[in-house]
Amino acid sequence: MGNDKIGINKLYALSSEKRKFSFSLPLKHKIRIGKRNYEVKLKADEKYGTYILWKNRKYPVEIIRSRQNKYEILFNDISYSFTVETPFSLQRMKVLSSVKGKIEKELVTAPMPGKIIDVLVREGSSVLRGEPVVILEAMKMQNEIQSPVNGIVTKVPAKANNNVMKGDVLAEIKVE
Amino acid sequence: MKIKKILIANRGEIAVRIMKTARLMKVETVAIKTSFEPGAMYLSYADHIYDNTEEGTDIPVFLDIEKLILIAGRTGADAVHPGYGFLAENAYFAQKCIDNNIIFIGPSPDALYKMGNKTIARRIALRGCIPMALGSEGNISDEEEAIAVAEKIGYPVIIKAASGGGGRGMRIIRKAEEMERLFSIASKEAEKAFNDPSVFIEKYIENPKHIEFQILGDTHGNIIHLGERECSIQRKHQKLLEEAPSCALDDKLRHEMGRMAVKIAKAVNYYSAGTVEFLLDSDKKFYFMEMNTRIQVEHPVTELITGIDLIEQQIRIANGEKLKFRQEDIRLEGWAIECRINAEDVQSGFAPDPGKIESLSMPADPFVRIDTGIQPGSAIVASFDSMIAKLIVKGKDRKEAIKNCKKALDKVWIKGTKTTLPFFRMLVRNLKFQDGTFTTAFIEKDLEKYYYNSEYEEMLAAWLATKLFIEENLKEDSINVDFENGKEMSPWLLNKRMNQF
Repeated sequence: MGNDKIGINKLYALSSEKRKFSFSLPLKHKIRIGKRNYEVKLKADEKYGTYILWKNRKYPVEIIRSRQNKYEILFNDISYSFTVETPFSLQRMKVLSSVKGKIEKELVTAPMPGKIIDVLVREGSSVLRGEPVVILEAMKMQNEIQSPVNGIVTKVPAKANNNVMKGDVLAEIKVE
Repeated sequence: MKIKKILIANRGEIAVRIMKTARLMKVETVAIKTSFEPGAMYLSYADHIYDNTEEGTDIPVFLDIEKLILIAGRTGADAVHPGYGFLAENAYFAQKCIDNNIIFIGPSPDALYKMGNKTIARRIALRGCIPMALGSEGNISDEEEAIAVAEKIGYPVIIKAASGGGGRGMRIIRKAEEMERLFSIASKEAEKAFNDPSVFIEKYIENPKHIEFQILGDTHGNIIHLGERECSIQRKHQKLLEEAPSCALDDKLRHEMGRMAVKIAKAVNYYSAGTVEFLLDSDKKFYFMEMNTRIQVEHPVTELITGIDLIEQQIRIANGEKLKFRQEDIRLEGWAIECRINAEDVQSGFAPDPGKIESLSMPADPFVRIDTGIQPGSAIVASFDSMIAKLIVKGKDRKEAIKNCKKALDKVWIKGTKTTLPFFRMLVRNLKFQDGTFTTAFIEKDLEKYYYNSEYEEMLAAWLATKLFIEENLKEDSINVDFENGKEMSPWLLNKRMNQF
């Protein structure tokens, strides 16, 4: 089968908060709100860069990241993450998530770039929600990075005196 | 005018701000070009530029006392304006200027020293019978002593750095068990930030409002206040929005707090512009917190309601002139709000988001004032603060000021980094902000969401993601999808799995 191609008439954009937006194909440059259709225009010019024109207002847009079917979009200074799915891949996703079951892992990530001052947990430590896991220094402030959940620490990539980037995983916690 | 040429020992918007007033006063300015931002906007406002880009140091020249004195000498500057931050409150720098016959545009080294050390400032306030929160007599040396003091004054308490300011080295302790850990964090942070690990303890005032008074004093012993600013909208002690006046004060309380602010300034023979910070609790009792001995970031809101140019006053006072107005001449008219538009990601806990500003456009309405040192092409660099611009709006009253602020926020256009704009767009729509009952705990306790988006914005972003997906993945006919594209699993394997269910 290899290069399987299937005709589709719809695409779904799923937000990171699991909201689903569906768009029929071919994609229209109009969005229906109530009884009216409003035109959406994607434009770019020297002064403003890329923007979307909607209801006579310009909104700045930028693509922060695009990998496979994942898109991170900055729209009017707020970032949104979507995965775009076809009806088929959406079905497959549901199946896959039920296969994976419900072993929930929570990642503690660096909210900002900085230097790790102290690591307060070890592999196997049990932590409570709100308990400090790592002390991260950024912009001369020491910040306690806390566990978002109750659980057992399964991995601690964070090491004292290391510099980390925003989003780097500091610890992995198995939710209990 | 004795002062002929001012060296600006600063950068960014405050450098621009000082040079604008200097130009109006026909005083020449010298700005310093650094390798961190050789194309910065502030350089274009200077009459003379000192090129310091060859210096290969990690420390900005604005912190290098010897070098600044040298530059002043070489460029023939007879005065130095330190702006805010960097060396603005450094008594040693002020003294060094005086020793080299350079006028330091700011208070005396003595006042800088006394108010800069919070334990000394507390002692002075105590002597002057200024209302203050209960606290330790002096610095605290270890956890045991800290616990003993805390037991005496009662929890919660706050640990503060003696040489501190700006929230660094500060920790709130609610029970004795937390003391050991937080005491050492606060002390270490203080040592790193201020080269001084000394900390002291104060009773922590729950849910206060942050009210500060603008002070002006001359070298002839006259000191007045220009009313208050409310800066309760803050996160981790970092101010985000300030307004003047405050809706928490009536004329009687304003008079009383203003009198105390002037009193503490007099106790150190204060001259130049300064700010006396108070906490105001829910019973309208106020407590002296600290005095800031510099021009502050939020000074424009006071300027808009008093019509007084504070930088001009600083220069005139440094020039030896007497204040031209008395306390009874000061009128507060209208309402002003300032939003600090920073390159920060409100969706990730206000983490700094450095980057290059690709495009920037600001509203030009008559009720708007913009103070900025950033232009398209400027970079927000990690070595300096994350400020992009201060959006300052005025209205005849608070309601109109908020309405104007909302209008202006929608017209600000910044591309290149994430900004605090979505936060302010949310704030001006928040009922508690509108009714004025918020306290310094507002951001951490009362807000569930730190940003505002209209109900269609996410949908439009989803539409754009879908459009990108189509352009990258769908063939010309736009109805076929290549499922192999970038996926790790082949469709037949998936089909097999699906059949098992």
